[in-house]
Amino acid sequence: MLRHSVATAALIGTALFTGAAFAQSGKVTVVTSFSKDVTDPFKQAFEKAHPGVTLDVQNRNTNAGVKFLEETKANNQVDIFWASAPDAFEVLKSKSLLQKHKPKAEGIPDKIGSYPINDPENLYSGFAASGYGIMWNDRYAKANKLPEPKDWQDLAKPVYFDHVAMAAPSRSGTTHLTIETILQGEGWEQGWRTLKEVSGNFRQITERSFGVPEAVNSGQVGFGIVIDFFAFSAQASGFPVKFVYPTVTTIVPANVAVVANAPNKAGAEAFVDYLVSPAGQEVLLEPSIRRLPVNPAVYAKAPADYPNPFKDPSLGARVKFDVNVSEKRTNVVDVLYDQTVTFQLDALKAATKAIHDAEAAIAKKDNADAKALVKEARDLVAVMPVTEQQASSSEITGAFTGGKEKGARQAELEQQWAAFAKERYQQAQAKAEQALKLAR
Amino acid sequence: MAGATTAGRAHAPSVSSRFMRLSATPGQIALALGITVFLVLFLIVPVGTVIYVAFTEKGTGEFTLVNFLDFARTDLFIRSFWNSVYVSAMSVVVASIFALPLAYITTRFEFRGAMLIQTLGFLPLIMPPFVGAVAMLLLFGRNGTVNLLLDEWFGVKIPFMEGLNGVIFVQAVHYFPFILINLSTALRNIDRSMEEAAQNLGSSGFRLFHRIVFPLAMPGYIAGASLVFVKVFDDLATPLLLNVKDMLAPQAYLRVTSIGIADPMGYVISVVLICMSILAMWISARAMRGKDYATVQRGGGGLAKRTMRPWESALAYATVLLILLLVLAPHIGLLLLSFATIWSFSPLPDAFTLAHYGRVFGESFVYIKNTLLYASIAGLIDVVLGIAIAYLVLRTKLIGREWLDWAATAALAIPGVVLGIGYLRTFYGVQLPDGTPLATLWITIVLALAIRRLPYALRACYAALQQISVSLEEAAENLGATKMRTVRRVVLPLMAGGILAGFVTSFATAAVELSATLMLVQSNADAPLAYGLYVFMQSAAGRGPGAALGVIAVLLVALCTFASHMIIEKSQKAKGASR
Amino acid sequence: MNQPFPISKLGTNAVDVDIRNVDLSYGTNHVLKGIDLHIRPGEFFAFLGPSGCGKTTLLRLIAGFNQADGGEVLVGGRDVSRLPPWKRDVGMVFQSYALWPHMTVRRNVAFGLEERKVPRSEIDRRVAAALELVGLAHLADRRPSQLSGGQQQRVAVARTIAIEPKVLLLDEPLSNLDAKMRVQVRRELRDLQQRLGLTTIFVTHDQEEANTICDRIAVMNDGVVQQVGTPMELYEKPANLFVANFLGTANILPGRVVHEGGERFFDIDGGVRLPIPAQVVVPEGAKLVFRPQHASLAGHGAGDVLLPGIIVHSEFLGSTLRYVVRIGAAEVSIDTPFHSGETLHQPGTSVEISLSLRSALWLAA
Repeated sequence: MLRHSVATAALIGTALFTGAAFAQSGKVTVVTSFSKDVTDPFKQAFEKAHPGVTLDVQNRNTNAGVKFLEETKANNQVDIFWASAPDAFEVLKSKSLLQKHKPKAEGIPDKIGSYPINDPENLYSGFAASGYGIMWNDRYAKANKLPEPKDWQDLAKPVYFDHVAMAAPSRSGTTHLTIETILQGEGWEQGWRTLKEVSGNFRQITERSFGVPEAVNSGQVGFGIVIDFFAFSAQASGFPVKFVYPTVTTIVPANVAVVANAPNKAGAEAFVDYLVSPAGQEVLLEPSIRRLPVNPAVYAKAPADYPNPFKDPSLGARVKFDVNVSEKRTNVVDVLYDQTVTFQLDALKAATKAIHDAEAAIAKKDNADAKALVKEARDLVAVMPVTEQQASSSEITGAFTGGKEKGARQAELEQQWAAFAKERYQQAQAKAEQALKLAR
Repeated sequence: MAGATTAGRAHAPSVSSRFMRLSATPGQIALALGITVFLVLFLIVPVGTVIYVAFTEKGTGEFTLVNFLDFARTDLFIRSFWNSVYVSAMSVVVASIFALPLAYITTRFEFRGAMLIQTLGFLPLIMPPFVGAVAMLLLFGRNGTVNLLLDEWFGVKIPFMEGLNGVIFVQAVHYFPFILINLSTALRNIDRSMEEAAQNLGSSGFRLFHRIVFPLAMPGYIAGASLVFVKVFDDLATPLLLNVKDMLAPQAYLRVTSIGIADPMGYVISVVLICMSILAMWISARAMRGKDYATVQRGGGGLAKRTMRPWESALAYATVLLILLLVLAPHIGLLLLSFATIWSFSPLPDAFTLAHYGRVFGESFVYIKNTLLYASIAGLIDVVLGIAIAYLVLRTKLIGREWLDWAATAALAIPGVVLGIGYLRTFYGVQLPDGTPLATLWITIVLALAIRRLPYALRACYAALQQISVSLEEAAENLGATKMRTVRRVVLPLMAGGILAGFVTSFATAAVELSATLMLVQSNADAPLAYGLYVFMQSAAGRGPGAALGVIAVLLVALCTFASHMIIEKSQKAKGASR
Repeated sequence: MNQPFPISKLGTNAVDVDIRNVDLSYGTNHVLKGIDLHIRPGEFFAFLGPSGCGKTTLLRLIAGFNQADGGEVLVGGRDVSRLPPWKRDVGMVFQSYALWPHMTVRRNVAFGLEERKVPRSEIDRRVAAALELVGLAHLADRRPSQLSGGQQQRVAVARTIAIEPKVLLLDEPLSNLDAKMRVQVRRELRDLQQRLGLTTIFVTHDQEEANTICDRIAVMNDGVVQQVGTPMELYEKPANLFVANFLGTANILPGRVVHEGGERFFDIDGGVRLPIPAQVVVPEGAKLVFRPQHASLAGHGAGDVLLPGIIVHSEFLGSTLRYVVRIGAAEVSIDTPFHSGETLHQPGTSVEISLSLRSALWLAA
């Protein structure tokens, strides 16, 4: 019976289906999280530069892509992994799923902003960079009479309450980098304070990176914390959106790597080399792609207002970034954010709203006791269940990586952290409400 | 060839007859074994390789249930669990509100366009991923068409799409056809004298419906409602697209797909999902036991269709129109979006264009072709399996036959991504002679689709077979037909309507399936439509073309559905005439 | 019946049913053609006819499930033609019984009373009484599927009479029962109707059923009432060939009337001639009709005329002998009483048939 339907399938197959070739010579298979807008121009340019070679692009989100490589490593069919998030490459690297390749390109510096472009062991290479910033829907802002933000701290202002969106750092490698940059730049405690103050204004924390620009484009959310090219490509498509780089911008690289045991290793290396070659770098300047080349010389061909991280010190240069620190606590930071912010957003927003109301009342009618209460409330919101040292300790990090030894289980830690945050948000809300009564 | 059904009535209680009673014909055993092998190979093993992690201890890998204890101890999971239960139950309620009037009006009255409504009522099942939710937000979101207009005119906004509300709304719209289809069939199968007897005794209007018609249609309603409950409970795409994360299925997905984290909780949740689904199906089966109200009797012929008075007719059309407008909102929004230049924070798009279709036609032919191919093969596999399982369960005394049913139904509850990963794990190691892994063949996608949609076809075939009196088969056997020939010449023709309905449901929903597909697509040339949509919907410029592709998908599937409806109607009429 | 049943009062105020010039068509199919019937109060009345004659349609029209295109239906003098079924107070027992499978027997019987908002205590009393009446009080908590066909039928009757309808309609109520049950149930129905004195209309295609229990019968064919009368009237004086043939066995001899020498003769097709008595009116194109017992083989009885014939077939039926005899081109059945020691005539024997023309009828069409 099954055989019968398979036979039917084969029949229909030959009629409809021209037959996919499985091992075509000169085919380079790419798994990427980049959209068609990015991959299509590169595919054309690369195939033109290397006649006879075809680029087969498989579109997957970063997480699914990593999962895919992991699950199929026994019989790998993929040549290239191509995505933004460096942490995804770190994971692949730690599982020995990447292959060493040093691109034969010249004139590429070690760092863009404060972030190293290439993996020190050459397992993956940066080919472009993007800056994080704030994108907003102009019609939305005008209809709600909201001012244009200029800096991260602006988004913590009461006026933006319930108007902002961001992707969850656990789901978006680039958002994770932004969070990590703030934590390193401002220090663990102050960094979390800033993050929670901004997050208290969030309307939503999306599960996909593209969820944020999508919501801003359609006007469901006013403001989004996004990578610049999302905003630029939206503008190019005609959406009424604006974008600004805050004074301190994180620069996040986009990477490419040859996959271990690539069936077409030569082709794969050719593609990586092409990406960082001047010709490949120029493709980045196309309006539909619009990413920052890692080769400073290419900026000469860019339009006048094109941001240049190698010249403009506000683009990343002011930020310190320690890759080792970041790497160690990646999972801990993500889970901390999820447990204390993403999954406690209602409680956090309630506390934030109460604090805003109390502060507004105090601004009208000063009251020292109320002020003290609000400060307490803010501290309660900001406090974290783990210290910076604990976050990097092996007892805690081990809970997430499934180490060989017995230890704390992820679920246990998560429950502790979530309960910790929720309790404090509720206390903060109570204190702020008390302050509001006093200030009335 | 004494079959189990007749052997049950054998007179001599000899050893051999007792053996016959417990067992079945060799053909039936072979069939059961074949299905078992298929299910084990393509469902149980792949899923097992993924979810066994839920039962292992961290570090040592030993068997443990501590992870389930963690589940019970974690507030987030408990909250997610109850949110899922609440959303599923409310979705059933809202879906019933949509489905009841449509089913009642189209089966109970002479209503122009009843068939069109039945077809349109099916459309929401074909909600392409991503674009459907985007379209819903553009219409009903906080700054969607409706709320922008309400705000302008009355200064109020209705939170249709906020939090759990939004999930309930979208899920009810998406899955209400399950209730519509089952309830309509049940209503058609009520003998008209049942209703007339009540009228004769003084009952009419709503009381008549509530006391006689609805209770008699209850089994159909329960079948539809339980399917809605389970689908909503297990669906992860809709809550995620609406940014609702504290539900079980999204939690499982978020955890399973988190990179670099080796946490069993995702799989623990998957196990919970599977158990809950089986529990829900079991409860509904229990509730329906002994309530086989197939009441069409001699001289019957379904509910009498009444002609409506003008005001009734006006009310009915208004109701139907309003409901259709609501449940087709995603498609209306999608259509607008596909023609829109820019649609942002405004009740309607700024301007209209055909450009998106131009872009899609050129690029997407391969997706459409693949989709039709994959979905139709998957649908075919599903009805063949569905018929076989239904036959084994209902018509034989094979030991453990219900397990086939349970196993196939459990597929309903398995998150697509779990199945996808399971397939990669199980079949990537299996190599073809030329060295390519089995999992890279497009047939793997088809198999995954078939497994995921099997429960739909199975339910339809099951219901169809249930309504056929055993005596019809016995008559055929009495006249000398073997079991095989009886099935071919009597059972299958009588089941045709149900089989086709099952095929259509499997086909249509497989055509827009994403979660398992996304994991298994190996090259652009093999990718189905849902993948194409996903790729488009990842960029601002792709929104219009994505919507256009969505419209094409819906139209294609709807056309196939409409054609099938015509065929069902025809066969129903033919059967009615011969009665 | 020790318990007094409230319905029994109804006998005194039984109503009549008046059907006036009722017409009904389904598209081009003219199902009922100008039906005029008057059913007297307390009468057990039957609509009798072959399937497709319109009898069930007429019954459903009285119940309100069919709408007449013309004419009216009066129940107890009140025009109910425009009333929906649930306002007519006309109880109907369905052919399939239509017991609701999701309710117990008790709930089924209580249904109509609940719809009428009768107080609970009253409902309980009347349900008990109705079930008592049909002898099923002990099965009140069963489901319909747990009952036999005869029991289901009685529940259906109890459910209908519980509402004390003005008129009771029975749609082929015996057709789903086996032969033995049928005889028993029809007696029960007759008894019940007599006790209640309820105007009752009974639809059947079985003349024996109609004859045994009904006061009067309307014979229907092709959407037209052929004749109304008591079972005996219909048998003795059928108005036309259809009625004659449908009720009991009738011998029909086609032929034509010839005038010869101032006298009338009937030439039976096939060459046999018989004289027509002077006072008898023979309609144009009439045929000669007589019952098997109205003729005998010559020598067995005194008839008016003798007709030559040949025995085709003979049967011994116990108290009678039946001969099938060819007369001219036609074959007729003739019953003669069986006398002890008598022998059967063999097929092929030429005989003379003695026919009593006073009992014979001349019926056109």
